[in-house]
Amino acid sequence: MKLKVTSLLVDDQEKALKFYTEILGFVKKTEVPLGDHKWLTVVSNEERDGIEVLLEPMAFAPAAAYQKALFDAGIPLMAFNVDNIQSEYERLEKLGVVFSMKPTTMGPVTIAVFNDTCGNNIQIVQL
Amino acid sequence: MTFYQQQVLKFKNELYPHESLCQQVVQAKRFMDSQLDNNLTLDAIAQEASVSKFHFIRLFKKLYGQTPHQYLILVRIAKAKQLLRTNNSIKDVCFAVGFDSTSSFTGLFKKITGSTPTVYKNRQNLRS
Repeated sequence: MKLKVTSLLVDDQEKALKFYTEILGFVKKTEVPLGDHKWLTVVSNEERDGIEVLLEPMAFAPAAAYQKALFDAGIPLMAFNVDNIQSEYERLEKLGVVFSMKPTTMGPVTIAVFNDTCGNNIQIVQL
Repeated sequence: MTFYQQQVLKFKNELYPHESLCQQVVQAKRFMDSQLDNNLTLDAIAQEASVSKFHFIRLFKKLYGQTPHQYLILVRIAKAKQLLRTNNSIKDVCFAVGFDSTSSFTGLFKKITGSTPTVYKNRQNLRS
């Protein structure tokens, strides 16, 4: 078995694709139409053969309750590593991204949490 | 303040009360990240953190869950993977990332990545 894809539930796939590519800098990898929705994945620009993130449509009501509860508690659904968290934080903030936690050092890591505008909190991490 | 942020601050205060000491170890870790081609000694790394060798090993293990030696092997192998994707020979890569014998390099590479440097390099060449 191999780790190939992991998924994030998003309220709108087109909006999510725009945010994850234009704001965060990921690159679209696969787009396959599947009825009302599509199989839509992005990868890191620096690791284009790396693990794909599936921007999965929110089409299952109980999952919406789970997603909202995590969101309201400020809990990140996924974390991405960055080389320099302070400059990434400043870059994203200038682009209008809203942070619920500014860069905070906790032992060996510095982390920050932002709203992906699609229903999730995302954490960035510098080791 | 969100629930998550409260938990982060709680961990920060309870588990990592000595922030400046933590930062010294983080600095030494980044030093290791940047000095792969040199033959790094534990003394030099601990010196970067301004603590004694044994204290450093203990602190590093507490923060990262592995010894500095184990960590250094991981970053060297990561760097080796990067170099193997370009046209370097396995022997050149082995020395470039600070190993002094190709057999120990090959053995560790296989243990960590699941394939030998030769297999890894061939697979990457096929992809590109």
